[in-house]
Amino acid sequence: MDNPPTTPNRRRFLATALRAAGALGLGGLTAGLAAKRGRTGEYVWQLDPQKCIACGNCATYCVLDESAVKCVHSFAMCGYCDLCTGYFPPEPIEQRTGAENQLCPTGAIQRAFIEDPYFEYRILRDRCIGCGKCVKGCSAFGNGSLYLQVQHDRCLNCNECAIAVACPSQAFRRVPADDPYLLKVRGKQA
Amino acid sequence: MLQQNPPLRRLLPIALGGLLVAVLVVASLAVLLYDPSGEAGNRLPENFQYDLSAFQKIDPALIRYRQAAEIPLELKQPRGIAAGREDQILVAGDRAVLIFDSHGKKISQIDLADEPRCLAVAGQDHAVPGRIYVGLKDRLAVFDAADAPPKTWETRGLKAFFTSVAPAEHDVFVADAGNKIVWRYDVQGKLLGRIGDPGPDGNIPPFIVPSPYFDVAVSPDGLLRAVNPGRFQIEAFTFDGFLEQTWGLPGLEISRFCGCCNPSALAVLPDGRIVTGEKGIARVKVYNAEGKFQCVVVGPDVLTPTPAAVAESRDEHRLLPVDLAADRQGRILVLDPAARRVRIFVEK
Repeated sequence: MDNPPTTPNRRRFLATALRAAGALGLGGLTAGLAAKRGRTGEYVWQLDPQKCIACGNCATYCVLDESAVKCVHSFAMCGYCDLCTGYFPPEPIEQRTGAENQLCPTGAIQRAFIEDPYFEYRILRDRCIGCGKCVKGCSAFGNGSLYLQVQHDRCLNCNECAIAVACPSQAFRRVPADDPYLLKVRGKQA
Repeated sequence: MLQQNPPLRRLLPIALGGLLVAVLVVASLAVLLYDPSGEAGNRLPENFQYDLSAFQKIDPALIRYRQAAEIPLELKQPRGIAAGREDQILVAGDRAVLIFDSHGKKISQIDLADEPRCLAVAGQDHAVPGRIYVGLKDRLAVFDAADAPPKTWETRGLKAFFTSVAPAEHDVFVADAGNKIVWRYDVQGKLLGRIGDPGPDGNIPPFIVPSPYFDVAVSPDGLLRAVNPGRFQIEAFTFDGFLEQTWGLPGLEISRFCGCCNPSALAVLPDGRIVTGEKGIARVKVYNAEGKFQCVVVGPDVLTPTPAAVAESRDEHRLLPVDLAADRQGRILVLDPAARRVRIFVEK
């Protein structure tokens, strides 16, 4: 008995595989687009930094134990000051990084030397509770580059946000889920 | 069992009653403490609060000036102030320069094509006495008279952000916060040099300008005084850019400069004393030419609407810093943008 020819089988196999891959790809694309369209129609909570007064309610009114609101930093607006008033209290004991010299009660700002006399400040998200104390310090003397935002990897997107209800300046509003942050831009102050 | 233990049977209603009272107390407390609207505040401990009120108090004995007059301004955003000929008072803001006589009566107005950022009037020693220099974002507009058409000098480019102008006898100095440099021009607008470069030996510290407040003034001793706000210092330069003197220390103490970058404004009195204005905790103070603190002109009790307004985080509500000028009589003119008025101070 002769063996059946192998080439047509391989061709058939490849054609079937290509068809299957194409169908899978098309299906994935359709599902992705559908999911994106669904996400586009959704809204999430966000905090308008132009209305926020950094009252501290974000730290205590969120239904999460650790608030979904945290400080963010606009590096484009920052003055990179040595004596940063968002990092140091009004009268620091020393201009050093010891806990006793830090304004943040949870030590959530990291200070790093760049070049004399410039320093960079980064928010350590896992330590920040969104109390806004640094926001006030930065606003009082500096450019207002530190501000609060709802972090969407944490926010439960409650139907009625407990912080929004307790916000004294009505700074919370619903924003599209595909553009969920209200970021500060440089040049507002000047 | 209960029947065999009568005291326990008597205790049960008491225990149940006590439990009911406890539940009622807890429930009442929960209702009373429930504050979904946030009216009770954030309930955070004291170390989470930011309070500058203690630093806003100034010993009244240090205040040796009194407000003699004030001029309300019809400007949404007043930016700069200068003393002019015969102690006229000029204020730049919106798209205009308002000109008042020495008593505060408005006498004329110059309309501008762009928003002004700073302003100066040439004194009698200048090559063109009375000439008005208006700093726009990146160039100067020059008016030889209030009703003359402006001459516009060359732009210093997209990065430029002019914040102060100071005319001397044959020179005009312009502080540029964008480039962190002071430009030196002749009176025709020809660029002669720049101050703030390290110099041939590299020993002149650069200007540190974290925010757009960078002021200069020419002193009667023939030196240019410039603020180096990131270093909390006043620096004195020859017109060729050699650093002659520096003074100033950071701190909230009254003789020092507060915050992260101060002073934000500078003026020179006819006798050479230096007047400084600070942002944040708004205070105007007088130093002698060598930097020794002398007195306070006015403090945050007048220049800040409420103590809490200092730490306002909303950009549109944040307090803009004062601008300063001094006239030939030694009066100190304070442009108070929060109140949109000029406050005129004289020594007590």
